[in-house]
Amino acid sequence: MSMECVVQGIIETQHVEALEILLQGLCGVQRERLRVHELCFKSGPNLGVVSSEVRLLCDLDQPEPTWTVKHVGGPMRGAGADQISVMVRTMIESKVSKNALRMFYALGYKLDHELLKVGFAFHFQRTAHISVSVSSVNKMPKVHAVDEAVPVTPGMQIVDVTAPATPENYSEVAAAVSSFCEFLAPLVHLSKPFISTGVVPTAAAAAASLMSDGGGTTL
Amino acid sequence: METQPQQPPPPPVAEKLNPKLEKELNLESLKTRAVSLAKAIARILEDFDAYGRTNTTPKWQDILGQYSMVNLELFNIVEEVKRVSNAFVVLPKNVNAMNAAILPVMLSSKLLPEMETDDNAKREQLLQGVQSLPIPMQIERLKARMDMIAAACENAERVLADTRKAYGFGTRQGPSMLPTMDKGQAAKIQEQEKMLRDAVNDGKGTQLPPDQRQITTALPPHLADVLIINDAGKIALPGQSNNINNQGMMQVSGTQFVGRSAASPSGPNFDNTTSPLPYSNSPRATGMVNVPSPQHQIQQQQFQQQQQRSKLMQLPQHQQQQLLAQQQQQLRQSSMQGLGQSQIPALHDMHGQAQQKFQTSHGQHQMPYSQPMGAHQQFQARQLSGGHIQHSMSQGQLNPAMNRHLNQFSGGANSALFTSAQGSPSSQMIPNMSSMQSQTLVPRMQQFGVSGTNPQRSHSSQMLGDQMFNTSGMMQTQQTQIQQSQQQQQQQQQQQGGYGNMQTNQQSLQPNNMMQNAQQRHQNPQ
Repeated sequence: MSMECVVQGIIETQHVEALEILLQGLCGVQRERLRVHELCFKSGPNLGVVSSEVRLLCDLDQPEPTWTVKHVGGPMRGAGADQISVMVRTMIESKVSKNALRMFYALGYKLDHELLKVGFAFHFQRTAHISVSVSSVNKMPKVHAVDEAVPVTPGMQIVDVTAPATPENYSEVAAAVSSFCEFLAPLVHLSKPFISTGVVPTAAAAAASLMSDGGGTTL
Repeated sequence: METQPQQPPPPPVAEKLNPKLEKELNLESLKTRAVSLAKAIARILEDFDAYGRTNTTPKWQDILGQYSMVNLELFNIVEEVKRVSNAFVVLPKNVNAMNAAILPVMLSSKLLPEMETDDNAKREQLLQGVQSLPIPMQIERLKARMDMIAAACENAERVLADTRKAYGFGTRQGPSMLPTMDKGQAAKIQEQEKMLRDAVNDGKGTQLPPDQRQITTALPPHLADVLIINDAGKIALPGQSNNINNQGMMQVSGTQFVGRSAASPSGPNFDNTTSPLPYSNSPRATGMVNVPSPQHQIQQQQFQQQQQRSKLMQLPQHQQQQLLAQQQQQLRQSSMQGLGQSQIPALHDMHGQAQQKFQTSHGQHQMPYSQPMGAHQQFQARQLSGGHIQHSMSQGQLNPAMNRHLNQFSGGANSALFTSAQGSPSSQMIPNMSSMQSQTLVPRMQQFGVSGTNPQRSHSSQMLGDQMFNTSGMMQTQQTQIQQSQQQQQQQQQQQGGYGNMQTNQQSLQPNNMMQNAQQRHQNPQ
């Protein structure tokens, strides 16, 4: 799968629990904890005038940290892309050993930035293999200081919905993702990355009804 | 149990509810409502059954709507019953062991102790100010208080109504209205959103300023065994014995030189490796100097104090590099770029042309070479057209014998070579590489400066056949220069392709070459 369909949204931290309940009901799978240290590298001048970017993701949730290397390309452009409500872009990822980090340093890649994403994720199948993750994004005051990470925006978390795709089937995958996103409309507006959407004004009411045990007055 | 507060208890014979109460209760309607409620619930459950069986997804809107209706109906029924339940008291019919103990408590009309204290406290509070006065005055005072409270309530109601009207709320809207977010709040949210999205997608706002890029001393566990921080607080990379450079930030910059440093053995190291090129068309033989790439030069300067003896020792250039260090540095960037556009064709003639003048015909390369030219007059310019440059300069493979040639090659030439060689390790290269690799694996290995002692010169510009150059002419060059041991004059184009891949094998310059390759390659297609 060399492409992915992706949409993003934001949600206030106070509503995250409600979103989890909603997702639990929609996806039918157990949630998985998410704790990923993401290191983003940009190539140095010795590797070419045009710098390239590559990301290393370390899953800290497992007893043994697992590393993944990921390259994210530019989004599809054009009239066709504009009609699709999700962003379709090239994405290649692969599992690597922990030596990847040293290798990239040795190759001359510079660490551009690093993030720690903490939250939860749901992975399920609905026409396409969809992954929804809700996480708080943390930055580190010192390089690699994962334990000292602080949230970039304490009151807000990011919601990522992604699904891998191939050049042949991306339109179906995009349709599956966007129809799934409708279910999340009461709590979060989802859109292509880089496009601001704001929060859902009625999210509080929706969250309250999700959190309550029936939505009616107590008898 | 039928009792009515007002009337005396009727004779217990006919157990019929008092008609008035009965009317109030409206049992009939209650019954119908309860029954219909039960039916609605049953229907919903059936729907769910059907969903489960057919595995369709339920429409949540509808289901939620039904739920709320059922809920409302239940609530109403219970309210109704509550209304009239005051008239009833629940008594156990029979006294038996279970309820014997609690029965008197239930039946007593005295308040429970807690309730009693509660009551007293409230009474205290109420009559605080007026206890002392005679009763009628107390009553008056209390009445006055009540009036005041009533007036306050009225005012509050009025204000609420006014605000509702002002905001356009209906009189019965209440919480179902969209909560309006004032501008300030909306702006704050938008700002936060931008920050968050940028951080996730671009990393904006999470990058540390250069002066703060100290690696934390306590590495998290998943990095602790991956990165080694050496004394200076930088990440130690393979091949680096000590600080490579003192750039404050992550040792990435240091890492860039890893290859180089590794490749550049200390001066005396590779003396024993060089041997004059036996090939007639090797650049060496012709007195061409493999000018180390500018990168090497830079490296050199930095590592000069280092006694790095990596296995990539094949970079004998380090001596050369020292010579050309200055020029190379400057030229590096420019040459890189220049080379990007250089054409390959010239490469072909490289071979066999011992004294090829440095071709400055390629304007792009001119700049890079010009400087060194000045410096080194003896520069026998091989045809250092972009592609060729590579040939002339194998980065690490200048053996001492070539030193004399060093002067001849300007740093620019090197850089040109390297840049051309760099190209991008595009996939095109790769296939080439693999094809090539298969051919002369063994010799290739040698070429690639596997052993520090055999500086390999990649000369065979012939190798840089068109095949090699798919997109970037430069691509080939790198390969040729680098690894070609003197024996290999044969087109080592294969090597070139391999640069991208070779890196792993070759310890020598390879990394340098590759990087340049990469650079070049990128340039070309773009």
